Amino acid sequence: MGSKFFINDNQDVLIEILKRLDGRSLGVAACVCKQWCAITQDDSLWEHLCFRHVSPPPEGVRTVVLALGGYRRLYMVCVRPVLNRLRKWKPIGVDQSASDSEVVRRVYWTRHEVELSLSLFCVDYYERFLFGGGGGGGGGGGGGRHGGDAACTSSLMFLCNAVNV
Amino acid sequence: MKRGHTMPYEQLEDSFSGGCSSAAGGGGCSGKGKMWEEDGGVDDELLAVLGYKVKASDMAEVAQKLEQLEEVMGSVEQDNLSFLASETVHYNPSDLSSWLESMISELNPQDPFSNSSSSFPTNQVYEDSSSFDSDLTAIPGKAVFPQIENPAHEPQVQQPQSKRFKPTTATELSSSSSSSISVGGGMWGSFQSESISTRPAESTRPVVLVDSQGNGVRLVHTLMACAEAIQQEKMKLAEALLKQIGFLAVSQAGAMRKVATYFAEALARKVYRLYPSNPNDPAFTDLLQMHFYETCPYLKFAHFTANQAILEAFANKNKIHVIDFSMKQGMQWPALLQALALRPGGAPTFRLTGIGPPSQDNTDHLQQVGWKLAQLAESINVEFEFRGFVANTLADLDASMFDIREGETVAVNSMFELHQLLARPGGIEKVLSFVKDLKPEIFTIVEQEANHNGPVFMDRFTESLHYYSTLFDSLEGCGSGGELGPVSDQDKLMSEVYLGRQICNLVSCEGVDRVERHETLAQWRTRFNSAGFEPVHLGSNAFKQASMLLALFAGGGGYKVEENNGCLMLGWHTRPLIATSAWKLSS
Repeated sequence: MGSKFFINDNQDVLIEILKRLDGRSLGVAACVCKQWCAITQDDSLWEHLCFRHVSPPPEGVRTVVLALGGYRRLYMVCVRPVLNRLRKWKPIGVDQSASDSEVVRRVYWTRHEVELSLSLFCVDYYERFLFGGGGGGGGGGGGGRHGGDAACTSSLMFLCNAVNV
Repeated sequence: MKRGHTMPYEQLEDSFSGGCSSAAGGGGCSGKGKMWEEDGGVDDELLAVLGYKVKASDMAEVAQKLEQLEEVMGSVEQDNLSFLASETVHYNPSDLSSWLESMISELNPQDPFSNSSSSFPTNQVYEDSSSFDSDLTAIPGKAVFPQIENPAHEPQVQQPQSKRFKPTTATELSSSSSSSISVGGGMWGSFQSESISTRPAESTRPVVLVDSQGNGVRLVHTLMACAEAIQQEKMKLAEALLKQIGFLAVSQAGAMRKVATYFAEALARKVYRLYPSNPNDPAFTDLLQMHFYETCPYLKFAHFTANQAILEAFANKNKIHVIDFSMKQGMQWPALLQALALRPGGAPTFRLTGIGPPSQDNTDHLQQVGWKLAQLAESINVEFEFRGFVANTLADLDASMFDIREGETVAVNSMFELHQLLARPGGIEKVLSFVKDLKPEIFTIVEQEANHNGPVFMDRFTESLHYYSTLFDSLEGCGSGGELGPVSDQDKLMSEVYLGRQICNLVSCEGVDRVERHETLAQWRTRFNSAGFEPVHLGSNAFKQASMLLALFAGGGGYKVEENNGCLMLGWHTRPLIATSAWKLSS
């Protein structure tokens, strides 16, 4: 029996590959098998996903993000919706005759977007804390908050996919 | 071109058109024609009060031009209109006719009047109307409004649609219509009878009867008529009109219906003197405000822009003390804490003093909020200290209570709180003077951009009708979170209740009870300038962040951020709704 290369035996290679995936593919990868699922739970992969296209990379963010819920949550709750929405948005001041393709396929995101995402993430944490684990404060406002990872708090509901009016 | 004053026509269009393209532009001119005179006549009264010079005989033409402008604007790509606001110079906007013409020619460099309407001989329409002495002229157009019977004479009877206008009724009204605006039932009478009949046989333009639209405009006019009646203490008349409003409101859909319902309720309270007896429970108000925070971007915009101003003012400072006049649930501060945590050069020590009203149920609400913020601050490693003050009104406070420490930089923040002080004389002066004693580095204010504090009830009513209609319109576009439907419906409903309470207070209360005394940015500016403050310009960072935030909202197309002499205003389409400004002590 010749030596076969089996990806699951080479976790470091697997991680290197997964680091280069986009968010959706990473999510799909998490569904492949238990081992892959465990690997994709690792926050550093998501950290890489969130900030690999930010130039220059923000400093000191890690402690804050980890305290507020981790990179995976940051990606799912804030980064992905923000990037999706802003990709379709023409910022004010851009020459209106610029072709759509230039704006739509923007991959690098700016300091402002990073700041905005982080602020929204912090608001999300506070809200969960205020209405969830923080005791009875808030009088049960906005019923239907789920405790799961994927659900976002009401104040970020506007980032979820809207129904076409 | 900077316009400090929005056109009344466009306001009506924006607020009430709700998607119908042939909006109130044509016949919805709330201006009535004066007695039509052969020589071209005098300027229309109502419009003159607003600053526009339009001859009564030109009204038809102006209406046509408005329609054309609307058509042209509709066919132009959305973004291309912005140059109208910024680059183009229009001279003499009070001469409505030529101003419209210049706008149309800007947008449509080809001959704007190339369509058949230009050849429409306006004289032809007036031929018949000269036969009766009426202050009503037939305005040809795409929308036709069925006439309404004068309700004072027959309160319960609704005229059938599209009846030709009766000369007899006209003469009854015309006798009183020549009076000036502030006097007599003439005005409301002409509001009612403003509806116009056209003569299809003679007009060269197609005429379309749109029922629901007619009802929409009638609803607005009935609301205004009712308010006018209340102002003149004609309570019986007001009651009759209220019943009509009830019928008309249910025929509407969406934002218009909700706005009309809230205003009708407020008017009813005023008529029957059923003032809300219990003071607003602050916990419930907080809850409503939370839903409002979640549904639409106004509060988020306010928080983010104010935070940005505070951040920039505190760029190199290490000991920060923020005094928040509007603590509520403290939703503004997590974002600031996070930004401070990530500040290059390390986080400063952050001290927050929150001021709130006494709570009904003996719980120390402020302390709870402070505790939660403290936990957040601890998890992101920012040194934090909180102190809460309970006060019935801001005017009860003074500078010595705040214990400003050595070396601290102070910021004061007020979200929609200052206008409440205008209810009592001396309140705002006292607060501004103790704020000056605190020597803040920056004083951030966010207030509604509207004048709801004029001395005349009718003016307040009209202004607030426009304002809240726009606000409710924007809420309609805010449906978010499709898969979590029930939550967002509840949020929307609670937001509407939140706004409804403001409407109720504004319309039905008087004196010290009326706390929703909104004033415009210009008015606040005058007040602050004379109190010894000078403006701090909000920079481009705040503008960019605000624009981005708005772009994230699903109904995002309608929201617009505007910069106005260093202050930022958030509006829905053309109407600014809230304004953020920052101030410091003048040297």
